[in-house]
Amino acid sequence: MRKFIFSFLALILVPIYAMGQEIKGKVTDVKGIGIPAAYVVAKASNKSTITDVDGNFKIKASVGETITVSMLGYETVNAKASSETMRFTLKDSKEDLKEVVVIGYGTAKKRDLTGSVATIKGTELTKTPSGQIGQAVQGKIAGVQVISNGSPGDTPIINIRGVRSLYGDNQPLYVVDGILVDNIDFLGSNDIKDITILKDASSAAIYGYKAANGVFIVTTKGGGYNKPAKLSYETYFGVQQASNVVKMANAEQFTNFALESGSASEIGSINAAIQRFGRSRVNPNLPNVNTDLYKETLRLATMSNHSLSVDGGSEKVSYSLGGDFFSQDGILKMKNSYKRFNIRGSIDAKAKDWLTVGAKFVYSRSTKYDDEASAWSQIYYAVPILPVYDNLFTDASPHPYSDARVLGYRDSQNPFPLLDNSDRLGVRKRNTINIYANFNIIPKELSFKTSLSYNNREDNQRTVSLPYFVTNSYQRDISESSIERKSITYENYTWDNVLTYTKKLGDHDLTLLGGTAFNDDSYKWFSVRGFFDPGSGFSRNIPQTWYLENTTASGRVSDDYEDSNKPSVFYALSYFARFQYIYKNKYILYVTDRREGANKYQDKYINLPAFGASWVVSEESFLKDNNSINLLKLRAGWGRLANGNVPANRIKSALNRTTIFNDQVLNGFGFATYDDNLSWEFTEETNLGLSSELFNNRLTIEADYFIKDTKNLAIPVSPIIGSELSYKNVGNLRNKGFELSLGWKDKIGENFGYNINGNFSKIKNEVTNIGGQDFINRGSAEFQQRLVVGQPLDVFYGWDIVGVYQNQAEIDADPVAVNAGNIKPGYFRYRDIDGNNILDANDRTYIGSPLPTYFYGGSLGLNYKNWDLSLAFYGQGGNVILNRNRAEVIRTSGRNIDAEFAINRWHGEGTTNEFPSSEGYRQSWNQRNSKFWLEKGDFLRVQNIQLGYNLKSDKLPETRFTLTADRPYLWSKSKILFNPEVGNSGVDLGVYPTPSIVSLGCSIKL
Amino acid sequence: MIKNKNMKNIHFFKAIILVSTFLLTSCDEKLDTEQEYLAGSSIDYSSPEAAKGALIGAYSKFQVMGWHEIPLISVRGDDVNAGGLGDQAPFADTDNYIYDNNFWMYNSVWNSWYQKIVEISTQIEQLEKFREGGVNPALINQYIAECKTLRSFTLLEISRVWGEVILMESLDQSQLKLKSKDEIMKWISGQMDESIPNLPDMRPNQRTDLKGGITRYTALAIKAMANLELKNYPEVANATGIIINSGKFSLYPDYYNLFNIPGKLADENLFEIQYSDLGTASGGEGKNHTWAFYGPSSWQPKVLGASAGWGFYEPSLKYIKFMISRGEKTRLQTSVLFTNRGINKIKEDPNYATLPSWISNTTPSGDVINDYTRAMFASGKHYLPSDQLTPGRKAYGTNKNYIITRYAEILLMYAEAVTRGAQPSAGSADNAVNIVRQRAGLGILSNVTSDQVMNEKFAELGMEWGIRYYDMVRLGKTDELSYDGRTFVADKQFLPYPLAQLEKINALK
Repeated sequence: MRKFIFSFLALILVPIYAMGQEIKGKVTDVKGIGIPAAYVVAKASNKSTITDVDGNFKIKASVGETITVSMLGYETVNAKASSETMRFTLKDSKEDLKEVVVIGYGTAKKRDLTGSVATIKGTELTKTPSGQIGQAVQGKIAGVQVISNGSPGDTPIINIRGVRSLYGDNQPLYVVDGILVDNIDFLGSNDIKDITILKDASSAAIYGYKAANGVFIVTTKGGGYNKPAKLSYETYFGVQQASNVVKMANAEQFTNFALESGSASEIGSINAAIQRFGRSRVNPNLPNVNTDLYKETLRLATMSNHSLSVDGGSEKVSYSLGGDFFSQDGILKMKNSYKRFNIRGSIDAKAKDWLTVGAKFVYSRSTKYDDEASAWSQIYYAVPILPVYDNLFTDASPHPYSDARVLGYRDSQNPFPLLDNSDRLGVRKRNTINIYANFNIIPKELSFKTSLSYNNREDNQRTVSLPYFVTNSYQRDISESSIERKSITYENYTWDNVLTYTKKLGDHDLTLLGGTAFNDDSYKWFSVRGFFDPGSGFSRNIPQTWYLENTTASGRVSDDYEDSNKPSVFYALSYFARFQYIYKNKYILYVTDRREGANKYQDKYINLPAFGASWVVSEESFLKDNNSINLLKLRAGWGRLANGNVPANRIKSALNRTTIFNDQVLNGFGFATYDDNLSWEFTEETNLGLSSELFNNRLTIEADYFIKDTKNLAIPVSPIIGSELSYKNVGNLRNKGFELSLGWKDKIGENFGYNINGNFSKIKNEVTNIGGQDFINRGSAEFQQRLVVGQPLDVFYGWDIVGVYQNQAEIDADPVAVNAGNIKPGYFRYRDIDGNNILDANDRTYIGSPLPTYFYGGSLGLNYKNWDLSLAFYGQGGNVILNRNRAEVIRTSGRNIDAEFAINRWHGEGTTNEFPSSEGYRQSWNQRNSKFWLEKGDFLRVQNIQLGYNLKSDKLPETRFTLTADRPYLWSKSKILFNPEVGNSGVDLGVYPTPSIVSLGCSIKL
Repeated sequence: MIKNKNMKNIHFFKAIILVSTFLLTSCDEKLDTEQEYLAGSSIDYSSPEAAKGALIGAYSKFQVMGWHEIPLISVRGDDVNAGGLGDQAPFADTDNYIYDNNFWMYNSVWNSWYQKIVEISTQIEQLEKFREGGVNPALINQYIAECKTLRSFTLLEISRVWGEVILMESLDQSQLKLKSKDEIMKWISGQMDESIPNLPDMRPNQRTDLKGGITRYTALAIKAMANLELKNYPEVANATGIIINSGKFSLYPDYYNLFNIPGKLADENLFEIQYSDLGTASGGEGKNHTWAFYGPSSWQPKVLGASAGWGFYEPSLKYIKFMISRGEKTRLQTSVLFTNRGINKIKEDPNYATLPSWISNTTPSGDVINDYTRAMFASGKHYLPSDQLTPGRKAYGTNKNYIITRYAEILLMYAEAVTRGAQPSAGSADNAVNIVRQRAGLGILSNVTSDQVMNEKFAELGMEWGIRYYDMVRLGKTDELSYDGRTFVADKQFLPYPLAQLEKINALK
């Protein structure tokens, strides 16, 4: 609006005033394409502005005054203001890639990096409508695997360059504005300016023992000096739907399967269902019930986000303030949602010439209603011949839930009593504050920065189980309904002091940095659980009465396996130094060292060195003027990291034990029998890489080859007898692989631009040493996985299947079957590896690995005038996943099965050579740990398709509309997994399905 | 010029001072702070109360029994079938002597019971620390003896099931040895000889410090069981004779309620696992066993709302017919819950076409058992009448104790040993058998043979702990165990080692 008035006035007031005239201009690059957001300053008039999307600007200045135009990546141009429309052509800055990247305790030019570092901008992150930033990173960076989590408010799991620790976490370190945090769930995508990911040891080592799994350096939006205030508002609204829902057997398929099983109780249950619910009109042999439980329990759910921010700055002060509100409902039909409210602010001030101070804070409060995880397996297993509600239960409240036990099954199976009567509320408050002072002791040479950060996270959980009544034997009485309150507090202080010295002497460019960091972490929790007192004010319908006061005092239990009220406190003090030497802008040497001391392990101190070198080949005389090769850099690095996430030795103090004597509880104590002996787990990594930009910076290539060895791997060692594991550092693990990222961006004509990006990585994981043991058993007893030298971590160990016996003649002809006895057609034929005609433990072999071996991702972006379209995809594969859902039959029968199995089961000679018969499914011969239970984990998912429109008008502020489809399509090799992104244990047992989301967004910038 | 240089110097000095102040106030000493919970609860090794706490810890570990543990030990006899039709097929196979070493139950029981042995041994080691701390050595000797008894019983059952198993004599797992069943039984007998003098000379329910805890007679009973497995009848008679001669034990007159709430801590019990719901209607820190495993899956209890069970552990037709032909009423009514379907099944046999009228699907306490597909009968000894549930509690069997061994078993072990030639140090075999028979409402026998004693054992101890199975196996009675379609041969005596344990066991060979 103001612009309109100005231009109108300018037009009317035709005579040129000596003071204050509207100077117009256009800023373009050497190809004539407009440069947006270039900085235009009229110093004498004290005015500044930035160019719009097409490179145009208007500024109030006097004719003849100097107008300066500058832009990152280009050479600054000065010109005298004229009344005609000015034209500025900016040339590419020879100081190429002046782009500055945040690295540990400082910044560096991207060009000077020797390690494997990737960056991702905030604008890339906001493309994905998700409350979790980790989700937005999926598929974008080679070597970074993100495993999503569908439940609202749950954070995805991130692994950088493979899984390297068994006992310690594999999560990277997150550094948010200098504060070390364990999780970035409290930030929204709109709060982020950019994220730098330090993938290899040589770059991450400076962060010390918490950085063993890589580092995510997150920088929140800040203001800028001399920047006009900018107000922006962004919002989106989306609808989620469960995608890739597994098709379960319907009533007809299930009934056939049950009849074929030959099990009298299964057949009896079908008849009981027919008796109770009547016969189906379509097929009189089926009961009149056909429940699709996934359809009954999943729903469409909405999500929305609003964020508002203002940032700007004057010559001495820069500021930024923002707030967001995010809300997401879950697709599971129960109280399942996540709401988060954030405010953040930052201020930097040049208090004196030699002193800059600043502060940053983020406050976040989120309310999460968790899903009832155990409901997922009930939903999977509930038989389709059971309806959701059974009106024959006339006294029920709140609803007449059906009960599978009346049909003869062992349990009630219906998930709705659980879904309707569980309330799992968690409120999380988080505060992160950072204040710093930067002393410029010798300008441009010596500076000292001290920075104090405080990070506090407080979780308050209330889990309530509400009463319900169906029949006397199917109810949860008020006195069995419970409330549990748990309070967890985590606090962390960090105090960093860094002294930096930079000197440029001719061709030599030296940076030296030294510092200390002190860290204090404390963690404590407390919980109480009680059962409601029927005589109290408790009412199911009034949440205000859900308090511990309304529970019976004698029945309250405090969780005190160990004295939970005592905090665990960890201290760490480190000294670190970095030395960077650049010669002639071509040869770069980089060395860091960090000496860490912590009270967590017996060995208190550890030394973590790293070094890197790189050669900017494109600066050499033979390539300097080459127009095709704009940048060619070779890099090499080595570093040692320590994994401080390995838990400390478990203390063998007395454990409270109780027992009954004479109807009274007596207290005693026991002792753990494990004998941990843990010290630092190391990772040493060598990285070789190449970075290149070609053809006028249109093609970018990043390639890396790495070998990462984890030494002193903390492994659980099981005793010969007894079940308590002890942790010892006796293993070595190797992750070896390569990463390749390619990017191409170009313009065709004035209006049409496109970019294509792709990344691919391959990782091979191998156990190299387990302390002399032949192998270590892992996984469950029935589905063994092993740690064995030469195989990947947790490789599955079991029998190989050759086919299915089709008829009695085949059985009689196979000595293995004859010796086993009791084998029928429809049973598996296993491979008798040792050839002794007896199928036993010696015929087992390695049948698959739970770790993916290759990952890839890519994106395509098009823009035409005001429109843009982008598409991103992601995939991985090479792993197998144990379908524990289908394998639950080993524990009990009387469960539903997936439709693929129901249709393809063996039911006669020649019907299939892959699936067993229904009767065979229940026999232990076929329940062995074999390839049948392992699904291939290969998949390709379209991550995100976004269509955007930028509304450009002089009258309106900058507005952008977007329509996004998030995770709209998945192709996976296995048809029966909900979500092939299971964690690295490789076992699928009831996972929250990931939703597909369609959303509409709008952003306005003033 | 000079001013500038001075300014620079001042700045430089400022820097040095600042930096050194920061670095000097380093927090090095905090690294030596022990993590707070390390400095936490420490035990006063001079306190007798704390020593008792160590003993309670051992009992606590012993008491926790998963629902599947005792059934796996006891299911293979001709007194009981697996039940739970269609569920846990490999469990039913085990009952039919078809073994699968990949079955999760075998591994779970092995691991869990060995973990009991490891933890009880740890407690013994702790008790030695109390001795060093100055606690009364006689008290320590007693507590250690109680732990040894718990440990020996656990090992006894493991060896009965698997035969040649691992013996742990100290916590150092590099000293473990694989021993044959006979060697294990001899070791157990030796452990009991060490323990007996240190244990209190009274009934378990006479102890005031831990009512129902282990006493001298518990250890004697276990010694007798170990020697019975060794077929060392003189030692069996010796040990059981001492118990009988003490005069401390007597049979609980009401056989039906021996297994219910009134029978908790009865004068007949030598060893029981105690459970309780503390008399409250809900919540609290009570401990209970999952009796639901044994309960019928459909019933109309006298007390509305009492939960049904899972329908496993079905008394066999052979056992029921055996009892009917002996004219047993008290013991049959107590041991078996009938369903109409089951009764009709019995009647299908022309020899049992007419049955006494008290055989019905209503229990003596008034609970009505409906027909259900999973089994035809349910175990009465593992049943709690719904009117004995603590008001407000619903779970099947909650508050019941699990009897391990009782005086009736002692009397019958004595009688068998005497009929097999041992010295009758505590009266005649006839006398012992008749005491048991009289309580059951049966007539007197004279000149009792060992076969008659075994039949008496079958009738008296059916459904309990697989005693029948281990007796038949010991006596080589493959014909008895080959019933209702099963075929038992001698090499089916032991279960195979669990697959997940094979490599560890083979390493010890």
